[in-house]
Amino acid sequence: MGHVTRKKALSIMALCAMVALLLMPIVISLPALASGGGEAPAAGAPTDAAKKDGEADKKVEKGKDVYYKVEGIVSGAPAPKTTDSVKDYPRYNFESRVLLWFANQQHLYYGSFVLAVPIFCMVIEFMGVVTKDKAMAKKYDQLAYDFIKISLTAYSLTAILGGILIFTFLTLYPAFFGYLSSIFRPVMHIYALTFVAESGTLYIYYYGWDKMKEGFLKWIHLSMSVILNVIGTLLMFLANSWIGFMMSPAGVDEQGRFLGNIWHVIHTALWNPLNVHRILGNMAFGGGVVAAYAAYRFLSAKNDEERAHYDWMGYIAMALGVAFLIPLPFAGYWLMREVYAYRQQMGITLMGGLLAWLFIIQATMIGILFLSSNYYLWQALGRMRGAEKYQRYIKYLVFLLVCGFLVFITPHTIVMSPAELKAMGGQQHPVLGNYGVMSAKNGGINVIITTTVLSFVWYMRGNKVSTVSWSKFGNIFMGVFFGFAYVNIIWLAIYGYYIPANVRVGLSVPQVATTLSCLFFMFALNSFMMKGAKQMGAIEWGKISVRSQYALIMLATAFTWMMGLMGYIRSSVRLFWHVNEIMRDNSPWAYTHTVGFAANMISFNVLFFWVSIMFVFWLGALGAKKAPVEAKVSVPGRAPEPAVGH
Amino acid sequence: MGQTILYVVISVVICFVYFTAVDHFLMDMQGLDYWYLFRK
Repeated sequence: MGHVTRKKALSIMALCAMVALLLMPIVISLPALASGGGEAPAAGAPTDAAKKDGEADKKVEKGKDVYYKVEGIVSGAPAPKTTDSVKDYPRYNFESRVLLWFANQQHLYYGSFVLAVPIFCMVIEFMGVVTKDKAMAKKYDQLAYDFIKISLTAYSLTAILGGILIFTFLTLYPAFFGYLSSIFRPVMHIYALTFVAESGTLYIYYYGWDKMKEGFLKWIHLSMSVILNVIGTLLMFLANSWIGFMMSPAGVDEQGRFLGNIWHVIHTALWNPLNVHRILGNMAFGGGVVAAYAAYRFLSAKNDEERAHYDWMGYIAMALGVAFLIPLPFAGYWLMREVYAYRQQMGITLMGGLLAWLFIIQATMIGILFLSSNYYLWQALGRMRGAEKYQRYIKYLVFLLVCGFLVFITPHTIVMSPAELKAMGGQQHPVLGNYGVMSAKNGGINVIITTTVLSFVWYMRGNKVSTVSWSKFGNIFMGVFFGFAYVNIIWLAIYGYYIPANVRVGLSVPQVATTLSCLFFMFALNSFMMKGAKQMGAIEWGKISVRSQYALIMLATAFTWMMGLMGYIRSSVRLFWHVNEIMRDNSPWAYTHTVGFAANMISFNVLFFWVSIMFVFWLGALGAKKAPVEAKVSVPGRAPEPAVGH
Repeated sequence: MGQTILYVVISVVICFVYFTAVDHFLMDMQGLDYWYLFRK
């Protein structure tokens, strides 16, 4: 009894320490934030300040915020005017930008992964705690542990890559990095301290798993995961504020001088859209990587038990990943909308100019992501007895997906030689040119997402038959609702052709709402209908085609490639600016790469990430081999089923 | 059969009203006219 009480006290103390760690950076930064984070204006001022007030007023220089349009006291130096010299841009005999690109991308991949996985852990551990089925609770707990184990090795790599990134900045772009550090000086240490807090929490969370596995201690452990994720999210938000500042600077005057309000510097026009987009993106990416890990373990499994476990793990990771993939295009749309609102020219460069073709590649990748997810779900129907009834309808879903995909990837303009341009009579194809517009593309992607929702609904009811008295009406209503949703999406896409652009742009909102209605209402309706449903047969975990596992690997690779692509697009939109319209990039590499070069570079980054993460997976597998047998929860004759359905 | 038709009719009415309302009100919230083409 005394031993348990001591453990409780220790765990509460650990939790309190984590909360303190979380609050520490904020407490430390309070004085800096209170003074706006700038230089103390009174520093070195004489004691008889009142006497020299008038004189001081004359010396205080004020500047106007480039974004917020308010006046502030100039508290920093102007952005340096660099020249193409070794002083501003020291270099190896290689393109510095490519080196920075590589370091940045690898750090981002690992950073995203280690921020996403603890969120999954939190969700899965919570499911394990609240589920009443003891066997399932153990399975969920083991799964959450497997997840965090993978992320732990990746965490060390993230820190190493972060160090490499900083050194790359310092050695290759000292002027730019010096300026950025001077602007963010008040929060730079908060970032570092938050990182310390994240590491400390993660290690206690991981190593305390066995000690806090039951009762009250389990809740403490779960609370630690919440704190871990709050810290992780805070870290990401701070990092996002740097790229937000580079794209849409605020809190500085037109010379780039800091005006004393650090909140304005952080809270730029694009900060919040970037935050939302990155959280969702990281989660989808993390889900994809874990699903690929599970697929790898499934393919290399030696027995049915392992296959069943990793099949289940792959499914959960994929479901979590896709759950965040579905709202991702909407978050991306919001980000683009804010980019247009901030600088219309920037939006045009992105979607209608220099970088437009990269968006066609992006559309192709998004299509591949959804096609892979759907393909996996259709394959997964095969492990359920009773799901055969849906097989014959899959061809209709394929038709819808392919139509949506083709519309979504149709370009508005085509890359051509001058002779081809002349022969066609313009940049737009006489027929296809009509289709490659946002009105149609919005319709295309919404059809794809709605079809994915439908695939999920079919999967969720694959081996079940509803027993509620109103099941007939429920089924008919669900069918009609999906039918009307498709009609509404396509109708709005066509309607957009007949109304002016300023009205048309608003049609995307009801289109998105239609898709989300299917997602929320049909999932809810399905859950009500499947309450106490009759099981046609158990889900036979592990009895799934090998192809499905390759679909998971495809999904993860497509996520990785798309993340690299979108990062490149977002960064390239600044063109020849380090900080948009404030600090010019005068290095020899201040030009936009060709699409081919960018694609090769992204592919190299993807390849490097996957080779290195394979090493992480291998390490994880090594650890698993040494784990005690009892740690592995066996898969009983009855196939394991997620407690909350599918 | 009659019951199925009744269910279909009820579902169609609900869905038609719902999606029209979604289109109308979400455009209206943005200060835009969903019925632009039909009013012209």
